[in-house]
Amino acid sequence: MNDKTTTKLSLVCSLVGLVAIYAVAAAARPKITPIASLNDSFLGLRVSISGQVMDYREHEEGHLFLKLQDSSGRVVNVPLFSLVRAQIDESIELLDVVEVTGEVAIYQGEFEVIPGGAKDVKVVHTAPVALTTITKENAGTAVKVQGTITAREIVGGGNIILTLQENGGKLPVFIPSWIVEDGLPEMHVGDTLRVDGWVQLYKGELELKLTSASHLHVVEDA
Amino acid sequence: MLDVLAYALAGVVLGVVTGLIPGLHVNNLTPILVTLAAGASSGMVALIVAMSITNVFINYIPSTFLGAPDEGTELSVLPAHRLLLAGRGYQAIRLSAIGCLSGLMISAALILPFMAVITPAYDLIRSHMHWLLTIIAAVMILLERSWRGIIWATSVFLMSGLLGLLTLSANFIPADTALMPLLSGLFGISVLLPSIVSCGSPPEQHLDDEPIDLRSSIKPVCAGTAAGTFTGIVPSIGPSQGTVMAQLVTRSSSTEEFLVAVSSVNVSKALFSFISIFAIGRARSGAAIAVEKILDVSSVEPLLIIGVALFARGIAAILHLQIGKLAAKNMDRFSYRTLCILVLIFMLALTFYYSGLVGILVLTTASALGMLPAATNIKRTHSMGVIMLPCILYFAEAKDGVLEALGL
Repeated sequence: MNDKTTTKLSLVCSLVGLVAIYAVAAAARPKITPIASLNDSFLGLRVSISGQVMDYREHEEGHLFLKLQDSSGRVVNVPLFSLVRAQIDESIELLDVVEVTGEVAIYQGEFEVIPGGAKDVKVVHTAPVALTTITKENAGTAVKVQGTITAREIVGGGNIILTLQENGGKLPVFIPSWIVEDGLPEMHVGDTLRVDGWVQLYKGELELKLTSASHLHVVEDA
Repeated sequence: MLDVLAYALAGVVLGVVTGLIPGLHVNNLTPILVTLAAGASSGMVALIVAMSITNVFINYIPSTFLGAPDEGTELSVLPAHRLLLAGRGYQAIRLSAIGCLSGLMISAALILPFMAVITPAYDLIRSHMHWLLTIIAAVMILLERSWRGIIWATSVFLMSGLLGLLTLSANFIPADTALMPLLSGLFGISVLLPSIVSCGSPPEQHLDDEPIDLRSSIKPVCAGTAAGTFTGIVPSIGPSQGTVMAQLVTRSSSTEEFLVAVSSVNVSKALFSFISIFAIGRARSGAAIAVEKILDVSSVEPLLIIGVALFARGIAAILHLQIGKLAAKNMDRFSYRTLCILVLIFMLALTFYYSGLVGILVLTTASALGMLPAATNIKRTHSMGVIMLPCILYFAEAKDGVLEALGL
């Protein structure tokens, strides 16, 4: 076989191969993967997942660690490292729906999906629920509420209880002393506040328990 | 200390195995070694370093003795094959041993001053990395000198780059196994196929120790080591590109000097890819990534890496010369074509095992693409576009945009 024939044959095979690989790549474009289906065979692959933020933790170096849960019921960790987080314009709050495309890895025995950049993270904010709709049946679940601070009192051991009011509904927000000590955003009676937290019953009464200062957002100063 | 030496010896053995079997790479074993590292971290680091250094030496044996094309096609053959076709395959082994031995010695001596300057230097070039890589690729292409060569070189670079981009960035093969079919196809099977088709076999090999002019090796070793240091830090630049750059600086063009230079580049690249973990906080090879993972949970001094590399160097050089001599002596005992076919089958099986049918598709495409440089008489190194183009796009922050434009 001379060089001319080899050149033609190699060129045709290369081009046909590239077209075939493009077709395979297009077919393998990440679709939304149910979190429950993540297993060892996904390690190192890029997937897209979508779920609600069930918890999040801020790291002192600026990283944000999300726990996302989808309709499959399973939770996956999504670390937003400081460089990526700095590029995300929107704030991420509890119960927001976040779509993440990233590489599947395992950290300390748990699956995580690591986005490579801000464009791999899409945030859809969920609206706060009306205070009047929260009932004892909501105990143990996470909710996002918004209301005006009508009272602020310090109770035993440095805990704070804020009372939020909105359209005739009322809900106490319990802020444990350890969160108070870590520092809270400045807020006063009359400010409008959005809070993400967990509904609990205390002495038979409903209240919202805060788990991190970052779950408090002052929407409007009085 | 003795246990570290025992691990280093085991690394030398594994380096010989991975070096002798075409298609099998150090990177195929490192994930298993990282898993086994718990409790013996410095030993496992020694094993991986010794394996990588030995692998660099021993790799020259199959790449010299396998895949040589017919006589009369010298213009498009690799330098080691040129010597093999002249019955001087063992001389190629000796030259690569000299390059590796001296390259590693100079690299080890350079590490301390290197550590002092590289961090600020890397910070400086990090933001311009895409320009640096583009300039290197452009220089390599322009060195083809004729319009025809430049057009073919550009086409091979771009097609390899597209192949790399699709395979490494799309989702059909896990990223850590995608490189194997790409590199085996571009630089392995594409070399084996012509010799299988041509049915030729290399002439009888001379085993007498031809005198080697050590003085003329000084220039390629120094230039090769400098280029190896550079390629150990800058991602996606291969040893061949490093060697061509070294040749440009030293203005040398002989086959012997090329072999000495390329082996110096290879071995210093291997050492500096580990040292860059300490110097710039980035691992620059699969084996170095494995060492970095172990270092995440334990502390190992760079001095251990240098010591183990020098220890492995001595044993690897002896084994390299002995096995190389044995291979040259016994070449005519086997059917050369059958040997190449067996290696080809092994590479296909390994690819299928790691990445399935889609891996075979990538391997076939890469092999076809890898045959273009020889058929069009341009340098094989343009196929490094397979890694360079995705790297250029990554550093220019344009990779996602290009993938999106391609609808991926």
